[in-house]
Amino acid sequence: MTDATSSGVISTRGLTKHYGSIPALNSLTLDVRQGEIFGFLGPNGAGKSTMIRTLLGFLHPSAGFATVLGMDIVSSSVEIRRLTGYLPGGIALYDSMTGSQVLDYLARVQGREPHRRQELVDRLQMPEADLRRRVRDYSRGMRQKIGVIQALQHDPELAILDEPTEGLDPLMQQAFYGILADLRAEGRTIFFSSHVLSEVERVCDRVGIIRHGNLMAVHEVRELLGRRRRKVSIQWRGAAPGASTLPGLVDVTVDGDRLFGTLEGDVSEFVRAIASPSLEDLTIEPASLEEAFLEYYADDATERADAHESGAA
Amino acid sequence: MSWPLFLRTLAWQRTRWIIVSIALFGWGVLIPVFYTAFSDVIRDLANSGAFPEELLSFGSGSLFSLPGAVTLGTQHPLAIAMIAVFAVGATSTAIAGERQRGTLEVLLARPVSRTTVYVSMALGLLLVVGTVLVALLAGFVSGAAIQDVLEDLPLEHLPMVFLNGFLMWGAFATFGLAASVTFDRAGPAIGLTLAYVIVNYFLEILGSLWQEAAWTQEYSLFHHFNSTEILGGAVEPVDLLICALAFVIPIVYALLVFPRRDLAAPA
Repeated sequence: MTDATSSGVISTRGLTKHYGSIPALNSLTLDVRQGEIFGFLGPNGAGKSTMIRTLLGFLHPSAGFATVLGMDIVSSSVEIRRLTGYLPGGIALYDSMTGSQVLDYLARVQGREPHRRQELVDRLQMPEADLRRRVRDYSRGMRQKIGVIQALQHDPELAILDEPTEGLDPLMQQAFYGILADLRAEGRTIFFSSHVLSEVERVCDRVGIIRHGNLMAVHEVRELLGRRRRKVSIQWRGAAPGASTLPGLVDVTVDGDRLFGTLEGDVSEFVRAIASPSLEDLTIEPASLEEAFLEYYADDATERADAHESGAA
Repeated sequence: MSWPLFLRTLAWQRTRWIIVSIALFGWGVLIPVFYTAFSDVIRDLANSGAFPEELLSFGSGSLFSLPGAVTLGTQHPLAIAMIAVFAVGATSTAIAGERQRGTLEVLLARPVSRTTVYVSMALGLLLVVGTVLVALLAGFVSGAAIQDVLEDLPLEHLPMVFLNGFLMWGAFATFGLAASVTFDRAGPAIGLTLAYVIVNYFLEILGSLWQEAAWTQEYSLFHHFNSTEILGGAVEPVDLLICALAFVIPIVYALLVFPRRDLAAPA
């Protein structure tokens, strides 16, 4: 059952999907490890959903191969789905059924006891009265809660979540992050597709960045943030010292007794270097995944700007 | 087969299923009433030569005999419209409708293969089609008993009428399901299946009303379900074979095509 070449809960090797002549996934090689929350980042149309749908057997790969939980995605698709929970992006539910009926029905088709349902219902604050209402009367957020519950109620070994916090209010997002943290603590693996960078930064251990169907990079979130450039503002009593004495600081501008710049590299070394009694104020903006993300998409932004300019001309 | 999906398929049809079964039973009861009330009048009209006999018949049915009236009852547009609620409407929207709503991917995220989804839905819907046909036949028998003409209705041939009728309506149902696995939206699937039924019906009626076009009837499935002949004890194996082929071919097509289709994200 387990493929000898696979080394993760999800392993793809040269996974390729073409729609006719249009490539949607291009020779994608990736390993998602047991017990991690893996963020799959990319803008709309980058190939995130295509990847997920291929892993779950909705789409047939054009080339390459992949395993999920050690099983081949083509020959063992049904068995993979028995052990997996899936939340589609913008989930559609059976409008004529009540929330309870939807969950019962999907649990019966799943063929596994919904052990986690009550816990999820409690944590996502879905009262019994709401579960007895028809889905057609649900708000977007309530539908999303049902989507999360149906994906996780049978306690899957792997959860594949496509834009899971869409429609959830900030309070419910917090509750959802808590659920993910608990799942990870229990050794469950979560594959998490999103374009909300702040939440990926917050909950994921590693991120894969996809662009035009190509996997651009896979990084530990911590490592990625550590490498980011930070905006720095420093104020001294008296004249600012020469920028050349400050390690890692570039793009320096001085405005009176205040110095602005961009810090690259190790923060602690920089802080040691500026520590002096004349230091009055220091601001270092937190590193953001958004910058890392935009770096990978800088070409796209340039292309769009060029196209816009040529269009305007 | 997935029992939850099979039972859910039946539950989705529940209200319509009950209403249409009652309506078809009522329609079946009325047919022997029409037969006893108008048979002699129609026969006199035919004998007078005022109207050609073709115009006093409808498809392969007529009011000249109770078996003919039963055929009329099964081929009348009212009965066809009622059975088509399931054989056309429910089948063609079964999978394409789930796909269009986006619920198919929620379903297929469970450990069920597409073949299982197809088989579970097909069995459920064929059961519904079969039971509404039983309701119609039960109506004929009840009506004949009420009108005291039960001896004109050879009950021993009714199972064969059911079999032939089920194969014919089942053929439309499996065609609807084949259309349903082919399209991502319910509209084209319904349209294609409805067109299939209408063309079949048109060929049958055209041939029955116009002698020169009688050959067109051979190309209609309705022509291969003739209750009059079956109730007269003359079962045509070719009719059964043609209906059986029309029943099976769309199933084979669906089982080949559906598992191989790429199901991209719903628009």
